[in-house]
Amino acid sequence: MQDRSIVRLLTLALVLGAAHSALAQAPYPARPIRFLVGFPPGGTNDIVARAIAPKFSEFLGQSVVIENRGGANASIATDLAAHAAPDGYTILLVAPGHATNPALLKLNFDSINDFAFITLLAESQNLLVVHPSLPARTVKELIALSKRRPGDINYGSSGTGTTTHLSAELFQYMTGIKWTHIPYKGGGPGLVALISGEVSLYFGNVPTVIRQARAGKVRAVATTGSKRTPAAPDIPTVAESGVPGYEVTTAYGMAAPAKTPRAIVDRLHADVVRVLNSPDVSNRLRALGADPIGNTPEQYTAFVKNEISKWGKVIKAAGIKGE
Amino acid sequence: MKPDLRNNRDFIAGLLFIVLGALAAFLARNYPFGSTMRMGPGYFPTVLGVILLLFGVYVLARGLRSGDKVKGEWGWKPLALIAASIVLFGVLLDRAGMVPAAVVTLVVAAAAGRDFRFKEVLLLAVVMTTFSVVVFSYGLKLPYPLLGSY
Amino acid sequence: MDLLANLALGFGVAFSLENLAYCFAGVALGTLIGVLPGVGPLVTIAMLFPITFHLPAVPAIIMLAGIFYGAQYGGSTTSILVNLPGETASAVTCIDGYQMARRGRAGPALATAALASFFAGCVGTLLIALAGPTLGEWALNFGAAEYTSLMLMALVASAVMTQGDSAKGLAMVVLGLLVGVVGVDVNSGMSRYSFGIPELVDGIGFTVVAVGLFAVAEIVVNLESREPREVYTGKVTGLMPTAQDIRDAAWPTVRGTAMGACFGVLPGTGPALSSFATYMLEKKLARDPSRFGSGAIEGVAAPEAANNAAAQTAFIPMLTLGIPASATMAVMLAALTLQGIAAGPQVMLEKPDLFWGLIASMWIGNCLLVVLNLPLVGIWVRLLTVPYRWLFPSIILFCCIGNYSVSNNPFDVYLCAIIGVLGYVLVKLECEPAPLLLGYVLGPLLEENLRRALLIARGDPTVFFTRPLSLVFMIATLLILVIMVAPAARRNRQPK
Repeated sequence: MQDRSIVRLLTLALVLGAAHSALAQAPYPARPIRFLVGFPPGGTNDIVARAIAPKFSEFLGQSVVIENRGGANASIATDLAAHAAPDGYTILLVAPGHATNPALLKLNFDSINDFAFITLLAESQNLLVVHPSLPARTVKELIALSKRRPGDINYGSSGTGTTTHLSAELFQYMTGIKWTHIPYKGGGPGLVALISGEVSLYFGNVPTVIRQARAGKVRAVATTGSKRTPAAPDIPTVAESGVPGYEVTTAYGMAAPAKTPRAIVDRLHADVVRVLNSPDVSNRLRALGADPIGNTPEQYTAFVKNEISKWGKVIKAAGIKGE
Repeated sequence: MKPDLRNNRDFIAGLLFIVLGALAAFLARNYPFGSTMRMGPGYFPTVLGVILLLFGVYVLARGLRSGDKVKGEWGWKPLALIAASIVLFGVLLDRAGMVPAAVVTLVVAAAAGRDFRFKEVLLLAVVMTTFSVVVFSYGLKLPYPLLGSY
Repeated sequence: MDLLANLALGFGVAFSLENLAYCFAGVALGTLIGVLPGVGPLVTIAMLFPITFHLPAVPAIIMLAGIFYGAQYGGSTTSILVNLPGETASAVTCIDGYQMARRGRAGPALATAALASFFAGCVGTLLIALAGPTLGEWALNFGAAEYTSLMLMALVASAVMTQGDSAKGLAMVVLGLLVGVVGVDVNSGMSRYSFGIPELVDGIGFTVVAVGLFAVAEIVVNLESREPREVYTGKVTGLMPTAQDIRDAAWPTVRGTAMGACFGVLPGTGPALSSFATYMLEKKLARDPSRFGSGAIEGVAAPEAANNAAAQTAFIPMLTLGIPASATMAVMLAALTLQGIAAGPQVMLEKPDLFWGLIASMWIGNCLLVVLNLPLVGIWVRLLTVPYRWLFPSIILFCCIGNYSVSNNPFDVYLCAIIGVLGYVLVKLECEPAPLLLGYVLGPLLEENLRRALLIARGDPTVFFTRPLSLVFMIATLLILVIMVAPAARRNRQPK
């Protein structure tokens, strides 16, 4: 009796083993793909991922399942992705913080070499807005005003190390003026503080802030990108208003673990670019204030390297410390 | 009054507060303190740790005076088993999948009870695991592997 | 009058078969989510996000909103039945609700919670309709100084929360404050008490603390002795509240609604603060405060009314200003944005069918919740008669799944086990868990705003007294202190 059940068990094991390796031989993708997102559901990162995932699943022929692993400014999810099996079944939504975390946190991975970058999915800009009571309408007026009142003007941010904070730090770095930083927990409180006048200045993300500006509650001064944003073509950029070379963008990208085979990277790249070009996805992204990009892996890798080095310098100069 | 400190409720509570308060203040020693008008990150935790410690001293002294006992017995075995069942869930979910994790957790937790009937527990495990899989994996589409790791 | 015309429009929209169906789906789902520990409305709404792409804006937002306030309803069910808060705000309901259940009064407790919530929901919805934008503007007057004095007042008043021993109760508040410190400090960006563990950088989650302190500790207490402890007295005395219950619960419900409506509008505080605050107020106002903690129905009615009112008014900042008051609101805002609707000051004018349709459906949703939940009371009570040896392992399993689902991280599960052990020790030593939770929720807010207020005022402490609203709270704090120091309040009450 014992022997028969052992034989049955062994046969089952063999069959399962064979099935498993057969599955592994099947053409890519043969099973669902994990899409790691470094923030809990609901944040912009998550929403960008969810705007893309359904169509991406359609083109790939397998479901792309979003897995939220929030924590430590997306570094937990990034760490997981860095150490995941490079078989094409794990991809990462590269968060904006990827460029700033190396300077702020202790990381267990190499932000450049542990990844095979696929593409820059979308980019958004921030909009510099001021409280109506602040006597400055343009960037030049703002700089002049700030020079007269060093350290006097309070600006809000959605947290230390976020783009809303670093936009302001870069501005001060490049113009030599000094403001006082008042950090808040997240974009909502930061914006409320600006509207109520608790702070006078804020670099907010375009869609949220533009509404308030159009309603007259705050005054829009300039955008932080290198080109004007299609959502507000009447607003000049900081760069064209007197601080040439100034550029801050919030970048959302996609990457896979470093040793993922080139063929798989190319396949993922091709499909995700198609997704970004499809009208409903690109409209959704634009509604979020993010312009879809979809560049090549080489271009994106160069972009990441550039961002990491740029922000490393700014963070060091501003004396911002993380852990 | 012969102090049976090991079961003196307020004595132990006070001791616990003292230890936690001291630990909090000690761990915060390297955080910049700042001044009262410009508090640094270390100000609040240090002050709180000290306050907790003072409360602990007060409660401890009170315990020595009143000698009130801890009511009932200490349930170390159920505590250990329940804690173990929770930890095992965390360990197994990623590595073995939700189904094994759920079953193990249920069985170990049930072992903490007074009245452990193996067949009943197994049945409970099957029913509850099925229910959880239906609600969480199919209903809410939580992406946990049912068997095996990701 | 304009209002009637708008409401007519709204009800016209809300009563369409499609919108009714989505409203029902939302509240039903929300209730289920609220009952499950750890899996909150945020996760659910995010999961259902893609569905909103295929729906027109109005039914989409109706459903999402239904999930949100439905979850507040469901959260109180587990608080009463098994001492496990499903939402932050339901933690207060545990204190008296669970005790009522243990004494065979789970039915009246659940029913009262449902009815009080319904009342509060109706009032909340009415408030949004009548005074939404005004309340939204009023909330803008709350700056760092006001939040600081408000939190200070709440923390000082928390001594009232303690059942018997004020010293240990306050010590628990301080311990809770310390637990809240773990994580990144907003004002400096520095990580505190994280020991290099990335999962601690964002602090210790509410679910982990609540499950460990409340549920795990309670379960072990029930198992500790060799003789079976009657967890629930066999005799379940009736499913519905008695006339006396209703009389007792009436005014607390009204007061709770008022508090919830006010606090819900303030971004960031909302349901949790209002339920804690009403509990403390009711305890102070009651003729026999010693009943609180052993099953006083006021201790269920008031917090439930408060948290449901706050759940309704929490929509105000989002709808009228376009500012999300919490992460869940942010997702709903995003859903609207993706539909091409810019929520904000203009939405009332540009999209009246959306705005008024949503308000009307919120009222309908509240009705549906009562209709849904009252019959369920019988089922829940029947559940309590299941032998405890089947019940508690299942509770542990759901808690584990819930904890894991917060960040999909086993670390949260391990941490919960540790806190559970600590929680059991504390409960054995007769240190109550509720004050710790209060400290944990309020502490970070107090510190953040205190330092921010001083930063903006460049170190000038008079700012707390020169700003009118802040001055009001400071005076209230002083009054509370005086009342407490008075001999009557100082007497060490005997715990029941």
